[in-house]
Amino acid sequence: MSNPKITVVDYGMGNLWSVISALRHLGCSPLTSSDPDEIARADTLLLPGVGSFRKAMIALQQTGIDQAITEAVQVNGRKILGICLGMQLMGLGSSEDGDTIGLGFINSTVTKFTFEEIGNNKLPHIGFDSVHSHSASHLFKNLRKTTDFYFVHSYRMLPSGIHGTLATCHYGIEFLAAYERDNVFATQFHPEKSQANGLMLLKNFLEV
Amino acid sequence: MLKKRLVFTLLYQHGYFMLSRNFRLQKVGNLKWLQSNYDFSRISFSIDELVVLDVSRGQRKLDDFCHALKELSQGCFVPVAAGGGVNSVDAARKLLRSGADKVVINSSIYNDIDFVSQLASEFGQQCVVASMDVKSSLDGIYRVWSDCGSVCRPGTAAHWINQLSEAPIGELYLNSMERDGTGQGYDLRLLDLLPRTMTKPVILAGGVGNASHLATGLADRRVDAVATAHLFNFVGDGLKQAREALISSGINLPVWGS
Repeated sequence: MSNPKITVVDYGMGNLWSVISALRHLGCSPLTSSDPDEIARADTLLLPGVGSFRKAMIALQQTGIDQAITEAVQVNGRKILGICLGMQLMGLGSSEDGDTIGLGFINSTVTKFTFEEIGNNKLPHIGFDSVHSHSASHLFKNLRKTTDFYFVHSYRMLPSGIHGTLATCHYGIEFLAAYERDNVFATQFHPEKSQANGLMLLKNFLEV
Repeated sequence: MLKKRLVFTLLYQHGYFMLSRNFRLQKVGNLKWLQSNYDFSRISFSIDELVVLDVSRGQRKLDDFCHALKELSQGCFVPVAAGGGVNSVDAARKLLRSGADKVVINSSIYNDIDFVSQLASEFGQQCVVASMDVKSSLDGIYRVWSDCGSVCRPGTAAHWINQLSEAPIGELYLNSMERDGTGQGYDLRLLDLLPRTMTKPVILAGGVGNASHLATGLADRRVDAVATAHLFNFVGDGLKQAREALISSGINLPVWGS
């Protein structure tokens, strides 16, 4: 594989170590950056994250990284992968800790799993679970139609009304597990914690 | 549907990885040895989670342990839990910055059960793994031991498990001291100590000698994950073969590969 230039956005939320390790394993030399100018000019972006949507969005806004990401993705047409909270930040907004507006790349809002939906299941949704992908997906190339990935989350997007190539997972209700449309890619699960399956998905993203 | 898990536990003491039998440690090799002779990079593709515990007797050196953890977690693309002597939020944060996704706590639970809540509010409940070393006393009652199995704590194991099941933990790692390193199989009676209303995932540990022991543990509906810390029972392709056997016998483990 060529050595794609990938910039991991560092906005102080969560551990970047495992994402960076996985990218290195795939032959990349990822940069980490919290500099808006660098992020706006990046070839390929990776937006990770674990934690609260509100805190994350405030961190992105205070540093101007939100506008830098928007410029890279929507003006310069650069490829981006959002992981877990990173995917949720790409939505229209979230109800976590009060309503907060997101980056708006994915036409859906993020809300918590309801007890009616999940029935006897526990929250957070933690562990390996089966993801059902669409045959047109780039991210799931060379993977089975149903593949196991590692999840840790209590908030989710629902697939209805979203345009794009979607993958879903069932946890009492069908929720959005992965999204791709043009240059925007996102996974609710953690590919960097999903063994060979996750490494394949990351490789696919790099090669799109 | 959530999958069950096969967990590999590494025991670390002052720079070396150890075999443990009834909590007596035997040195196996250092990090370099582990990476080259045991082919850890291959083993890590047969497990669903890695647990790394600093079981050093005497003074622990957190920075050295974090360094080893960072090296190990680099080639391990599954969730990593780490612990050993963790008694402060700062120590937990150090582990989380060295490649751990979760923090394992043990002795500090008995000193101050509120420590569990402190960790949960700082890092989230999913981040806290409560580990409990359990042994039956002469009267047949299971009790808990802290400080690497050297101090018996007041109260029964059932009492402590009950307390923890109400606390903000992500999961419970239940280890049999009597079976530890013996290869006789899990002590399934430990599962009878769990409250009926247990809603936290349970990792069963202590005593695995072969793949059928893993299967017996995973087949119990109260068990979410099984752990083995034996560095030699599954040497070579042992773990890979054990995993394949478990999956083909219908146990709901994640499936890797295309």
